[in-house]
Formats: sequence, C-alpha cells, structure tokens
Amino acid sequence: MASTASTGSRWPSWINISARELLLIIGVIVITAGISIGSHGNFWNDSNLTNLMINTAITLVPAIGMTVIILTGGIDVSVGSMLGLVAVAGGTAFEHGVGLAAATPVFLVAGAILGFVNGALITYGRVPPVIATLGTLSVYRAAAFIFLGNHWITMIPPSVTQAMVLTQPLGIPIAVWIALVLIALCMVFLARLPRGRHIFAIGNNENAARLNGIPVERIKLAAYTLTGVLVGVAALMSLGHSPMVQTTTGTGFELTVIAAVVLGGTELTGGRGSLLGTLLGAILVGLVQNGVVLLHIQPFWSGVVLGVIILVSVGSATVRRAAD
Amino acid sequence: MNRIDWTGRAPVLIVISAITLIGVTIGAPGIWSVDNLFAMGVLAVEIGIIALGQTFVINAGGIDLSVGAIFALAQVTMGLAMVAGVPWPVAVALGLCVGLVCGLINGLATVWLRVPAIIVTLATMFAFNGLALVITNGIDVSGFPDGFYVLGQGTIFTIPLQIIAIYLPLLIVLAIVQWRTRFGRLVHLTGTNALAARLTGIRIGRVQIATFVIAGVLAALAGAISASRLTTARPDAGEVDNLISIAIVVLGGSSIFGGKGSVLGTALATLVIALVNYGLSFNNLNAVYQSGLIGLILIAAVLMQNIMLRLQQRRATAAG
Repeated sequence: MASTASTGSRWPSWINISARELLLIIGVIVITAGISIGSHGNFWNDSNLTNLMINTAITLVPAIGMTVIILTGGIDVSVGSMLGLVAVAGGTAFEHGVGLAAATPVFLVAGAILGFVNGALITYGRVPPVIATLGTLSVYRAAAFIFLGNHWITMIPPSVTQAMVLTQPLGIPIAVWIALVLIALCMVFLARLPRGRHIFAIGNNENAARLNGIPVERIKLAAYTLTGVLVGVAALMSLGHSPMVQTTTGTGFELTVIAAVVLGGTELTGGRGSLLGTLLGAILVGLVQNGVVLLHIQPFWSGVVLGVIILVSVGSATVRRAAD
Repeated sequence: MNRIDWTGRAPVLIVISAITLIGVTIGAPGIWSVDNLFAMGVLAVEIGIIALGQTFVINAGGIDLSVGAIFALAQVTMGLAMVAGVPWPVAVALGLCVGLVCGLINGLATVWLRVPAIIVTLATMFAFNGLALVITNGIDVSGFPDGFYVLGQGTIFTIPLQIIAIYLPLLIVLAIVQWRTRFGRLVHLTGTNALAARLTGIRIGRVQIATFVIAGVLAALAGAISASRLTTARPDAGEVDNLISIAIVVLGGSSIFGGKGSVLGTALATLVIALVNYGLSFNNLNAVYQSGLIGLILIAAVLMQNIMLRLQQRRATAAG
C-alpha cells in the first residue's frame, strides 16, 4: 500500500523494510547480543544505555540532513567543523549568562547560516559539493579558532544537561526523543509530500527534474540549510552530554555521520536511500563505538571494525544486485 | 589539449600564484632567502608527493580519502621494522609494499564491488588509521638507524636531498608517464567517460586499480621521508593530508569529476600552498589559519573558474 505513493521506481516509502534494512536489523541484534554477553551484562546498565542512546542521537540528527543531501546527489563534509563553530557560538552565549531557552535559537540560527553558506556556494556558485564543503571544513574550523583561541568554554549551565540528558520520559532522554521525532517527520516528508519526492527526482536525474519545473537550486539550498540547523540541534545535545567547548570540538564528526548514512544504504550517487536505513546505520555505529569500550578492546580497533563493516555492508549490496 | 584547461583552470591557477607571491612578499618580507626556500621546499615535498598520487586517482575519475592513513600506516610499519633490527633500506621497501597493498585494496574494492571510490576510501581510511594505532598501541615509534635519516635530512650540494633526488625526478617521471605513455592517456580517457572507454575496449578497471596503487605507494614514500625528517613515526600522522591533498589537486587545475588535470598543475599548486603556509608560519600564525586560508583559496579558485566559464559561454552564444 505504501508503495503506491511512488511512481513506479524503487523509491523507499514511509515504512517499507528492504532486504538491506533487514540485514542491518540482524546486524544490530547480533552485535547487541555479542556485547551484552561479552560485557557480562554491563551493557544493560542504565548509565551505559543512556550514554549509547545520546551518542547515537548526536550522530543521527545531522545524519537526517546528510541523508537528504546525499539523496539529491550532494555531500557535506563540513558538518564536524560546523558543529565546532556552532558550539563556540552557543557556548559563548552561555558564557554571557544567556539561559537555555534564549540560547537555543543561537544554536539553530548559527547552524542555519553555516549550512546556507554551503548551499549557496554549491547552488549559485556552482562549486562541486565535495570541494565547497571541503573548503568550508577548514574555513569554519579556522573561524572557531579565531573566536576561541586557546580558551575552553566550560560555563555550560547544568540546565542543558538536565533538559537534554537527565530528563527521561519513559526512560528515554529528551535528546533521543527529539531525534526520533525529527526522523519520523522527515520520513513522512520524504515519502508522502511532493517536495519529498522531488528530492529523489533531483538525485535520479537533475536535468530532468529541472525540465519538469522542480526548483532544483532552491531545494538543494534548503537541504544544506536544514543540515546546518540539525547540526545546531546536535551541538546543543553534545553540550548536554559533555559540557565543554574547545577549538577541536567536532573534529572528524563528519566521517561518523557519513558512515552512518552510507551504512544505512543511501547511495552516494543520489536518488536512492532511506531514513530508516540511516537510523539503523547510526545505531550500528553507536554500538560499535560503545562495544569497543565495554569489551575493553583497544579503542583503536573501533576504526578498523567500522571500516570493515562499511565495506562489507556496501559490498554485499553490490553482490546482491549482481545476483538479481 | 584537454589535459591543460587553458580556458578556465590554468589561468586561475596562474593568477592565484601571482597573488600569493605578491602577498607573501609583502606580508613576510624576510622570506626570500635560500635557506627559507629550502625549508619551505622540505615541508612541501611530503604533501606534494601525496598530491601527485592523488592527481592520478582524481584524473581517472576517482578520489582517495585514505592517503593520509596510508602515510601513517606505512611510516609506523617501517619504524617498527627498523626498531626490530631490520636494515633501513629493507624497512623502507617494506613500508612501500604496505602502501602498494593498501592501494591495491582500495582499487580492487572500488572496481570489484563497484562501490564509489569515496565510500571505499572512507572505509579504508578508518581501517588503515585504526591498524596504524593497533600495531603501535597508539605510541610514537622512534630510535631509527642513522642511515635512515638521509631520506629526510640529507643534502646534495647543500640542497635538501628529498627535493632534488626524490621529488623533482619523480615529478619528471610522472609528467612523462602522463603525457607520453599509453597509460597516461588511458587515465584521462577513463576519467572523461568511463563508459565510452569501456566500450572501446579499454580495461578501465585495471587503469583505476593502477591509479590507486600509485597513490598508495607515493603516500608511503611521503611517510618514509616524513618519519626520517622528524626522526619519529606517528600513527596519527597525516590526518589532514587526506583533504589537503585533494584541495591541492583541484587547485592545480584537475577536475574533481575526472578527465582533466596534470601533475605539473599539482606541483604548481603545491608550491602555492607551501608559500601560503610558510608565509603564515613566518608570521607565527597557527596551522589552523593556514588550512582555513587554503579552504578560502580553494573555494575562490573554483568560483573564479566558474565565472570565467560563464563569461566564455556568454561570449560564445553572442558570437553564435
């Protein structure tokens, strides 16, 4: 029934579990079982679960925007630097005694501006997405350094941690609820609304989309701006989780986010992918990082494991496609 | 003629080089001494060699995000081997083999699994970096035999060895490979139109794998020079080199979509980046500012190329 919304191609729909997502679910179950046996049940204690959920939410929220960007055929490698610069802006507001409610817009607006700059360079400047965001990756990082220098912001009000992490309706932290609501909204948007379908159309064939009257430039600009806003949300969450900002905050974060999206089966060539996959991908990345700590494996193995998982998962999709 | 794009990229690179020269001369007047130029060259050689390999990958339509990780993995491998008593030339050869194997993995995964190079090398970047940390326990390796220091600290007629005996010959050889050999033409053909290349009977898979192997070996070579210069092999070295090498290649006139570009452009762009870096560090400005400025230059260069292209199109339509 859900597939009637799509016009003939294999577009993912609101809830329509593909073979790949099934594979990811199995992966999540197997890894969870492995960790909980290996850690003698330490996996299931409250503080570890909270930790795992918050970390996953922090990856997931920007990954939603990244999925949309990649669906249009683009990419944003600057999200780590964006997170850092937004955290500097928001943290500075906190340092000046601004409360949580008043500082939240600072995070969102700062993120929106940085994302808009990326989008404007890509759409109106016609700079290829990898190049544009590679450039802003270093520019945003330098900007964070100019503002902050060697100073560390530690005056994050406890209300941030209280609101994001410690308040747990139904045993789930607010930050995780926010992530879940955001992803549900975007899933409905992508599957049900015309604008959502346009995003797939752009990724499948940009020129055809343009000739059909779809405002390609405006939609792409919106996707990058949205990702900026979502990075702002993630920055606020991460300050609730670890209340400190330094110039290196968020370094390498873009790779975790992209890894979650790619693991989730969204194809970098655009036009194919799903947010459900991204959710599972983010959980898998979170589990690997968590498991490495719990099983007392050298933390260095997490990179190796993550790399191998990405290759196996993407490679298996090719093998399956060849078998079809 | 499609190797150097005189309509858009080459003039932009020349203009940017000129601006950099003037800017550095004004901003860091003391920079033009022979000693400073050699010091600058020494710093530029390592990223410059990585960028030469990246040029081949990008020209063939790929991208390699793992060169920095290969740089680190190769240098700690040879470092550990030397500490274990292996003679240094053997250890260096071993490190180059590590680079070769890493490049082969990248190439085979890209071609056999038919996964975009950016995903493959994102994954292998995690894996190679992780391996470098695992085999060293995350600790720097040092205490190499004296002979090894020749690579990064030796001189020939007071000129640093790695400039005159490694980088320049390498550049000449690669330029000849690119311009005068069948393989060089195949790289550009593959990058211009992979489908057409395949239909004309070119084994594009082999070409792509070869470019990744070149990039892997050159990254390992850069790793050896760096370990020798700093007398230390670091498992976390080269983290920024992944992205900076791509920035240099694009600044040097290669199209990120493949098919256009030359190692000579890459060499010129390396010089520009080295000048900017050295000029800034001459004024005691932090490395973060340097990469920020490189980011700005990269975006400005591509924007300028696009503007020139659009002007040209307008002229073409007006003439037509």
